[in-house]
Amino acid sequence: MKLLVSIRRFSQVFFLLLFVYILWSTAYPLKGKLLPDTFFKADTLVMTFTAVSERVILPGIGIAVAMLLLTLLLGRFFYGWICPLGTMIDIAGQIRKKRGKAVHSLRFFKFIILACMAVLAFIGIQAVWIFDPIVVMTRFVALNLIPFTTWAVTNSMIFITKTFDLFGTDFYEIFRTLRQSLLGVKVYHFSNAMHIFYFFLFVLVTTFAYTRFWCRNICPLGALYAVIAKFSLLRRYVIKCAGCKRCISFCRMGAITNGVNYIKEECVLCMDCVYDCLSNETYFAFPFLRKKPEHVKLITEDKTGGVTRRQFLMLLGTSVFLPVFGKLGYALNRNLSSSIIRPPAAQKEEKFLNSCVRCGNCMKVCPTNGLQPVMMETGLQGIWTPKLVPEIGYCEYNCNLCGQSCPTGAITRLTIDSKRGVKLGCAEINKKTCIAWANNDQCIVCEEHCPVPAKAIKLMTENIGGKKVLKPYVVEDLCIGCGICQNKCPVSPVRAIRVNPVFADRK
Amino acid sequence: MKNLLGMFEKAMSKKITRRTFLKGAATGAMMIAVQNLFLRKVLAIDETSTGRPKSGIKGDYDLVLAEGTDPYQNTIKAVESMGGMERFVKKGGVCVVKPNIGWDRTPEQAANTNPSVVAAIVDMCFKAGAKKVNVFDNTCNESRSCYEHSGIQKAAQERGANVFFADDWNVLKAKFKYKSPMEGWPVLRDAIACDTFINVPVLKNHGLTGLTLSIKNLMGVCMGNRGMMHVDIGRKLVDMTDFINPDLTIIDAHRVITANGPTGGNLADVKVYNKLIAATDPVLADAFASQLVGINPMNISYIKMAVERGLGSADFTKAKTLDLKL
Repeated sequence: MKLLVSIRRFSQVFFLLLFVYILWSTAYPLKGKLLPDTFFKADTLVMTFTAVSERVILPGIGIAVAMLLLTLLLGRFFYGWICPLGTMIDIAGQIRKKRGKAVHSLRFFKFIILACMAVLAFIGIQAVWIFDPIVVMTRFVALNLIPFTTWAVTNSMIFITKTFDLFGTDFYEIFRTLRQSLLGVKVYHFSNAMHIFYFFLFVLVTTFAYTRFWCRNICPLGALYAVIAKFSLLRRYVIKCAGCKRCISFCRMGAITNGVNYIKEECVLCMDCVYDCLSNETYFAFPFLRKKPEHVKLITEDKTGGVTRRQFLMLLGTSVFLPVFGKLGYALNRNLSSSIIRPPAAQKEEKFLNSCVRCGNCMKVCPTNGLQPVMMETGLQGIWTPKLVPEIGYCEYNCNLCGQSCPTGAITRLTIDSKRGVKLGCAEINKKTCIAWANNDQCIVCEEHCPVPAKAIKLMTENIGGKKVLKPYVVEDLCIGCGICQNKCPVSPVRAIRVNPVFADRK
Repeated sequence: MKNLLGMFEKAMSKKITRRTFLKGAATGAMMIAVQNLFLRKVLAIDETSTGRPKSGIKGDYDLVLAEGTDPYQNTIKAVESMGGMERFVKKGGVCVVKPNIGWDRTPEQAANTNPSVVAAIVDMCFKAGAKKVNVFDNTCNESRSCYEHSGIQKAAQERGANVFFADDWNVLKAKFKYKSPMEGWPVLRDAIACDTFINVPVLKNHGLTGLTLSIKNLMGVCMGNRGMMHVDIGRKLVDMTDFINPDLTIIDAHRVITANGPTGGNLADVKVYNKLIAATDPVLADAFASQLVGINPMNISYIKMAVERGLGSADFTKAKTLDLKL
């Protein structure tokens, strides 16, 4: 009975399910017990690096610091026991079990990534979102997994109802209740969601090279924890080694160098080696509780694949050149950023791009599905940031959920009252295609839907051939650019009224 | 990296025999076929409907106007003097109560039907022996927030009604005996497949039609690109009324948006009338309600069109009217 391994597996599955549950409940009323940014608060990398690059103290940074202290006590337990991406990688690894060499020489690569990110953070650019495991996982679950599941279940139910003509039966009632509670009324669709899935798939597929390829060599959060785990208290003891090398070949992180010694910073405390040991003499303990056996020595001198302090500092120094390339990107794409509508109360563009971690929380929570991931419209640095696409969904007047669910404050948290006044842009009527202006017909759907109490779209009456025609026009000072007029405009494919983000408050 | 490249090389260097190729191609074709069949079934709207037949049930009065500060009592008393809900509701039948829940507004802002009116109707339907009372509307704003903030979901659910969001896929194509611009328009099945249809609009200002009334309220059972209904709106709404044939019309005029409708939002635009109109003829009810706020019924396109078509009468001076003061 592998008790410790069972507990570890239970913990992994529990946190994976909790993670999915939190994202699943990141929907309209947002009244769940756990806030959508719960996992981000425990994500030290996102929390500290955003705090450094944006020079703000984010709420909940205490939890991130607590995680660091726990790591100092226990080591990289987050990876073996909690990280939902790690769990997914472990599950994917079951398909093709391939053991890696012990202490692979690529492992220094993650420290390079971390160093680059640290330098960028100090000069005010937040780049942790690229490889952060919680971000990668959130984006996958929120924008791929949950939309696909709801789509598949809803459509299967519709298929069954239609095929067997189950209208009005209990099955139909159950489906309806399910749709209004668990499944959600709306089936979400995200443009470019396939690219997000490919990225996630790539992360998973790397494990086929050898177990936990991603965690060993790339994950920057792992690197951050590894730096601290080097000094962690909990450690592995081998009292008597028979030299069978089972633990070496079964270690998923390739952390064991020989039977007795291991690299502490690479160990994720998966507890496999405790049970792999044939002589049953391996255990984990705190040195102050157990007396250290005489013949065991910890190899921290073995630098295979590791990074020395000098190398690390050198890396920090050389990566100063990185932002030059970043700036080049900004310069080339300066005008692109103004062409899209950002969520309400998003920060100014450059600050927004820096603080946004592209987790997809805001897109998941948007009740109209209007927030969509950007692909390349704002240049490479804007990839997967949110934009409002009024044709798909408008910005709901009485809703401030995107700000509520943003983990880094890229979208400001506002009360509903103050959010109502935030200007996303300004509507413009194209009089060449508008039904009322071009055809002198009845329409004014835009005026009907305008949520501003004083109506930002007003009507003028014109007498044309004895027929009274109502024609809409926009009052720029009142318009908040929510885009409901664009969403409901019956003219297609290009709407006759469109929101122009140039007039937004955040400019 | 080396390992990954090795894997790739290995996969590419595998020879594909004719058999494997054919197998793969056949599987792919099968999958596409199954997917196609599945999606076709899911997305298809192939059933048509000629609408609800006219029930022809008449009340003791053609029209009842109830005045009082309590919307719940107003509704109860008005329907009782019409002859009671038993007259309209079939025992063990399915009742549809169609309020206006179009907007994400509170009851004070009066863009939606007063929840107490809906609650009273639900109560009466159950008392009259209805098996099921369905309350729904195809909302303009986000449905969940509309249902919640309008207070109707809570009020109706507390009384045992079946409150649900409009199922966009569960629709029938409308079919008319005459040539109609609404031919083939998707209409909610729940609105058609019922024994009693009670239309419960709220009286308020509307930019295009002047007023939102019971005939306009029937837009809430239509799906599809509803913006397109605004072109030649009178004709389309009248056809829709002829299609649905509401058995009872109860117009809530307790709080009335007099400007910047139909969304409202500004409490200064809301005028308190504390009135409720009940009638079996939707045209009569609408005509009476419009003169209540001082608008000539004949200036409202759909009332004018309905009278011309002989759908009902707008001459409330000839109608048998009861004025209840509570």
